[in-house]
Amino acid sequence: MRRLPPALRNTSLIVGAVIVLVIVGLAIFAPLAATHDVAAMNMRARFQGPSAEHWLGTDNFGRDLWSRMVWGARVSLGIALISTLGAALIGTVVGLVAGYFGGWVDQILMRITDVFLGFPAIVLALAIVAVLGPGVMNVALALVVVFWTEYARVVRATTLVLREQAYVQAARAMGAGPLRILFREILPNSLGPIIVLASLGLGTAVIAESALAFLGFGLPPPAPTWGWTLSYGTGFMRQAPWLSIVSGAAIMLTVLGFNLLGDGLRDVLDPRQLTRAAGKGKTPGAQTP
Amino acid sequence: MTLRSTPTRSRLLAATTAIALAFGATAPASAETLAQLTVGTDVDAGTLDPRLARDTTAFRVADLVYSGLVQLTPDLEPVPELAESWDSPDPQTIIFTLREGLTFSDGAPLTSEDVVFTFETILDPDFNAPQRALYMPIDSIEALDERRVQFNLSMPFAPLLSYLDIGIVPKALVESGHDIALNPVGAGPMRLASWDRGSRIVLEANPNFWGDAPVVERVTMQIIGNNTARAQALEAGDLDLIQSPLAPQDISRLSRDDRFGNAIMSGLGVTYLNFNANDPLLADPAMRRAFAMLVDQETIVNDIYEGVDTIANGVILPSSWAFSDEIAQPTFDIEGAVSAFAELGWTDSTGDGFLDRDGERLSVTLATHSEDPNRVQSVEYLQAIFTMAGIDAQVRLSDWPSFSTGYVQQSEHQIALLGWLNIVDPDRMLFGQLTTDGPLNWGGYSNPEVDAALQEGRASLDQEARAAAYQTAAAIIAEEVPYYIISFQGFQLFYNADLPIEVTASPRGYLRGVVLPD
Amino acid sequence: MLSYTLRRLLLLIPMGIGIVVVTFGLMLLVPGDPAAVLLGQEASAEAVASLRRSLGLDNPWYVQLWDYFTGLLRGDMGVSIFQNQAVSAIIWSRLGATIELAVAALVVATVIGVALGVLAAMRQGSWIDTGAMLFAQLGVSMPVYWLGLLLMLFFAVQLGWLPSIGRGAPLTEAFADLFRGNVATLQHALTYLLLPALALAANSAAVISRLVRASMLEVLREDFVRTARAKGLRPPRVVWRHALRNALLPVLSVVGVRFGTLLGGAVLTETIFAWPGLGQLTIAAISQRDLPLIQGLVLTFALLFALVNLVVDLLYAVVDPRIRLD
Repeated sequence: MRRLPPALRNTSLIVGAVIVLVIVGLAIFAPLAATHDVAAMNMRARFQGPSAEHWLGTDNFGRDLWSRMVWGARVSLGIALISTLGAALIGTVVGLVAGYFGGWVDQILMRITDVFLGFPAIVLALAIVAVLGPGVMNVALALVVVFWTEYARVVRATTLVLREQAYVQAARAMGAGPLRILFREILPNSLGPIIVLASLGLGTAVIAESALAFLGFGLPPPAPTWGWTLSYGTGFMRQAPWLSIVSGAAIMLTVLGFNLLGDGLRDVLDPRQLTRAAGKGKTPGAQTP
Repeated sequence: MTLRSTPTRSRLLAATTAIALAFGATAPASAETLAQLTVGTDVDAGTLDPRLARDTTAFRVADLVYSGLVQLTPDLEPVPELAESWDSPDPQTIIFTLREGLTFSDGAPLTSEDVVFTFETILDPDFNAPQRALYMPIDSIEALDERRVQFNLSMPFAPLLSYLDIGIVPKALVESGHDIALNPVGAGPMRLASWDRGSRIVLEANPNFWGDAPVVERVTMQIIGNNTARAQALEAGDLDLIQSPLAPQDISRLSRDDRFGNAIMSGLGVTYLNFNANDPLLADPAMRRAFAMLVDQETIVNDIYEGVDTIANGVILPSSWAFSDEIAQPTFDIEGAVSAFAELGWTDSTGDGFLDRDGERLSVTLATHSEDPNRVQSVEYLQAIFTMAGIDAQVRLSDWPSFSTGYVQQSEHQIALLGWLNIVDPDRMLFGQLTTDGPLNWGGYSNPEVDAALQEGRASLDQEARAAAYQTAAAIIAEEVPYYIISFQGFQLFYNADLPIEVTASPRGYLRGVVLPD
Repeated sequence: MLSYTLRRLLLLIPMGIGIVVVTFGLMLLVPGDPAAVLLGQEASAEAVASLRRSLGLDNPWYVQLWDYFTGLLRGDMGVSIFQNQAVSAIIWSRLGATIELAVAALVVATVIGVALGVLAAMRQGSWIDTGAMLFAQLGVSMPVYWLGLLLMLFFAVQLGWLPSIGRGAPLTEAFADLFRGNVATLQHALTYLLLPALALAANSAAVISRLVRASMLEVLREDFVRTARAKGLRPPRVVWRHALRNALLPVLSVVGVRFGTLLGGAVLTETIFAWPGLGQLTIAAISQRDLPLIQGLVLTFALLFALVNLVVDLLYAVVDPRIRLD
């Protein structure tokens, strides 16, 4: 036990991973973890405090808050996952292409990135949801549009460095096409920063979804989202404080988990290169929409 | 002068000196005037031109800055304002006589020419006055002399007096290019001191006011969009007075708090479901009635709205002279609804929990706008009930412009939850809305009997005959459900109990009862 | 450096064009008609159509876009549909409040962030370190609107120490008064500023504290310090100072990015605290589909963000000669 592998010596990583695993587990096994029907209203049991029957109390429709939170994890994580994957995918491709080809391709792609970076994030997301209408995929899509720029900038920066590396030059000399070089040589070596950004971005997406709900652009009911519960909850802060506390805590804990995980990964995967590269963009984990 | 907080008081200092103040000063019971009244309001005024006003703040400020020919009492009775009297030689003519020596707040005289100008501009289609439709039966307006003005109507038009409280604007000034939308000049008890767009509107007493001088020297309308934040600001002592719209949970709390005086009364609005008769699913009144039987008014009004609104029985407000308690809409009855659907051929033949007919599932979209959390909750609750009854109900939620102008007004909705405000006369929520091809008839409802009744209600000058006509219309509407009225909206006003002045509330949120002596 | 600055400024042009086009496209697609919203529920379809004509909203989109661009070239951002005032005048009247809030938040965030970061680095591994970093993590994880309402509930409603909403005198005026020997105005202004600035700053304070801690530790791990420590010597004060200076460099670079984030966060904070700035205005403009105003606001936000980043990059080069601008 004297020498654990580095990953297991990193407290952030472990704590973050445990939190994330628990929440993801609850989301996956929501039908088992929920103690009540998530949609069952009971207007005679509104705003009940935590009890043996309702672990976290009941909401403004007398629905079991624990069950709402568990199912809400599915929605919130679902949106976070879809939007982060989408943003990472688009951003990575843009970053790889811009960094590798350089020249006018780079110029055009970076100018487009500037446009999206210049937008106030929340305004862009709001406008997109307003155009598309609320819905899981639409909210996720709005977040993709907001967040892809981070990945593009970071991946471009690493690509600029990597393409000058000897092994890439060698591959090129041996006649490898750009696609092969990009996806076989450069991408695998940029995965570190992407993974770190993505784990931080997951947390940001959870917050962003709740902010959209607060402004009235979240998913329509009866979707049991954390954002709605918190948004309703702030209206009931005096008579049923647990509504906002529980939903707020769920959001905080999830974001905390992803951030710790991201920090831990940053330490474990080549720390220097990552902080340098990530320090320049809008750090996703730090974004408050 | 009183001890009420003025904006220049430092709160940090206040915290340490509050006790000293509490002991050091006796209640200013003898004080009759107030230097500063800070009122919380939900939106910034879009304009301060009364002819163009369309939001609650604009109406409430315009009421203080301008005077109309008549003034509506809190009971909605038209009483003399600028006009000291009026006379109707025949049903299509009204002659108003203005008070003597009227002036605007800038000292310029107010004459019959200004009245003519005000209404001619409202009627001008290019002027785009939002309420132009209300004045359409006015054929022409003439100034008979300095103080007398004659309205010629194209037909007898009973509701007109209720609409003539709109502020009179100064013709000469407006025609000289002065923008009264930004720098209003009227003949009301207050005048504009400053307007910090989106933040606050400050009014001060108008020294040239024709009536008794106001007891409040300055009124600041502080704009706070979030209902909860606005209520908290009253509790924190940063506001002296707030009024509807407020969150029900804040109303319950504030009304129990003896630091605040309150006025809780019935308002001038309804919250209702708009059924789209253009939609094939809802074209049949029997179908609409079946859906209406799923509306649990009791729970929506008493739980979601916490009883600040009241259960509605039809389209006529209980405070109106036309009200009748014999009108009855369908009431909540799930089993009744299910058997009504069954009679129409909708049964759960596949056993999947949803009603169907000819292989098609009974699905419907419930819509509302996201700005009002109570409406969102009402729709969320209805969705759950609909699902229990075997209807595949979806909720459509969007912000007001998308919902209102992009959806309901395009007649794309099925069942939409929304409201009408300012119903000073039954005509105002029925004529344009439910007559065949009426300009506001977004659901495309059409019934000749209703058309005739609404026409009669508008044209007859005999209040009993009008009441009978509106009751006839209301009974048919309750039966055929183009509208299902969920609730009559309540109106609430809370004020700091230490205010040294008398507070008389008006269901429209107008503040003359606060700033003027009794 | 001059040519670098010029080039960066030139790059603002394609960015500006892009932002106008994207905003315009979005607003073209979004349901909801400003004319109908303006006239309210009681207006007839004819009135709405007539207003659309007089606002030029019935022109084809390319004409509207062209008009907007040619207007911009003349320095004209158009007229707000709802306020019937020049967009530039409206924005100008609100800009001060938002900048004031963002700068105040930045100051609060930097002070708290640096203090916590330094403390944590000096006592690495102690409960102070853990506590500071836990605070930092929570600061990043908390939705700003929730924090805002909680702060308001606690400090304004329960304790009554601070005003819940609104803004005092502009700080510029307050400082002018201060030089005239009048402290009250500043005091008054600061009481209003404190809660919204705190709510807005929490997130950035957290980020900065983590950054300061990490870069200080990096310095402290450098060879000469380690050697000194191995010899049982506590690092002398000069080392701490060196470490701090090094740590502040990345803070500077982050400040630029944070400023943009703060401007965005101001949208929510201003809405809650009724702070009369651009953020509150943006929400109002969107909820009214006031296209010219939305355009102007988005453009202003983007320009502010870009300019602050440029200034920061230039400063960075001045402070750290190792950085080469190209």
